[in-house]
Amino acid sequence: MSLSGESDGTSTALGSRVTESVYSDVEAYYSARVAKYGATPLGVDWSCQATQSLRFVQLLKICDFSAPFTLDDIGCGYGALAAFLTTRYPEAKIDYLGLDLSRAMVSRARRRFSSPDRRFVVGTASPRIANYSVASGIMNVSCGYSRAIWEGFVATILREMRRTSRLGFSVNFLSDAARAKTSAVPSANSLYRTSPEPWSHYCEHDLGCSVETIDNYGMREFTLLVSCDS
Amino acid sequence: MGMAINDSTTLDILVQLNKRFEPDGLHEMVALQKEFQIFSAKHSLQSSFALLGIVPLAWSERRRWYHFLGQLKTYPSDLANVSGHDRIIKAFKDDLGAKEPLPVSFRCHNAADDPKVTVSKGLPIIFSLDTYVIVSIPTTPGRVARQQAAAIAKQRRAVKKSKK
Repeated sequence: MSLSGESDGTSTALGSRVTESVYSDVEAYYSARVAKYGATPLGVDWSCQATQSLRFVQLLKICDFSAPFTLDDIGCGYGALAAFLTTRYPEAKIDYLGLDLSRAMVSRARRRFSSPDRRFVVGTASPRIANYSVASGIMNVSCGYSRAIWEGFVATILREMRRTSRLGFSVNFLSDAARAKTSAVPSANSLYRTSPEPWSHYCEHDLGCSVETIDNYGMREFTLLVSCDS
Repeated sequence: MGMAINDSTTLDILVQLNKRFEPDGLHEMVALQKEFQIFSAKHSLQSSFALLGIVPLAWSERRRWYHFLGQLKTYPSDLANVSGHDRIIKAFKDDLGAKEPLPVSFRCHNAADDPKVTVSKGLPIIFSLDTYVIVSIPTTPGRVARQQAAAIAKQRRAVKKSKK
């Protein structure tokens, strides 16, 4: 794969201390955002509710809404996806679990959207195997880590999503096709941008999945729909 | 705008609007319109702009901004029997749904010259050769509007006094 690990596979094998450090910094970053901007799109680094919802539309293309399913929302923030599901798919039977590193985020999500089939937990990995997992925007802010370390972190997340998803998972990334412009808020230097190929290749060859790339929804980013065969 | 909201807020909002609908951001707006029909008769400008995050940063100014957007329903437009509010929605809806959408430029003009919300096409950016849809909002400068309001109040008081 053409990720920027120092040698083959290094970027996918972060030491646990480094991983913990990244988790800790990511948690601090988003807790600070939500403290400053509250439970709003800006609080999770998106410019507005409309673009946030457009991302959800793409990510949820992995799900088959014709039957009940379980869904994990990795990096759920203040629970915007839970609210979106209620509005967009009011009839769908979805057992939703939102996970976030930030206690402050989860606390807001619980306050706003908690119900028997909408739960929120603090954590780094899902405690269950769900039908599907989605992650919106969690790969974007690299918190100042080197590209190699950050890609190792991204690989760790994808591996975890693969492990805890029975049918499939979906993630989005900022595209490196247009570096200067982005809808996301943080300074350009702290953003991780990439092309679909390396991560699509990683999901197919290292995780044994099939991948569909969506990059035609008007934003400078792309979404990977990753189907798990087993 | 003018007396309705602070001058700095007006500038802030104009920058946000023009940035959002500039050529580089147009694909995103077209996709949003296609997916959610953000600009339609079903939604007020207030809810459309709130969804797009086009709001003053200061919370205290948001209420005034939303009030101003509601007030646009009382403004005339360059289309007969269409309010300024609905004219803006129509301009966005038509443009973003067009085969070849154009960027949109927002500007203000003096309400004393023309009290109508106007929509046209042209080259509003001096350094750009791109054709834009130009939406222009009639505005009365805050100080003038306050003077006008004071004069009307004075007149009213005088009439009241003369009746006594």
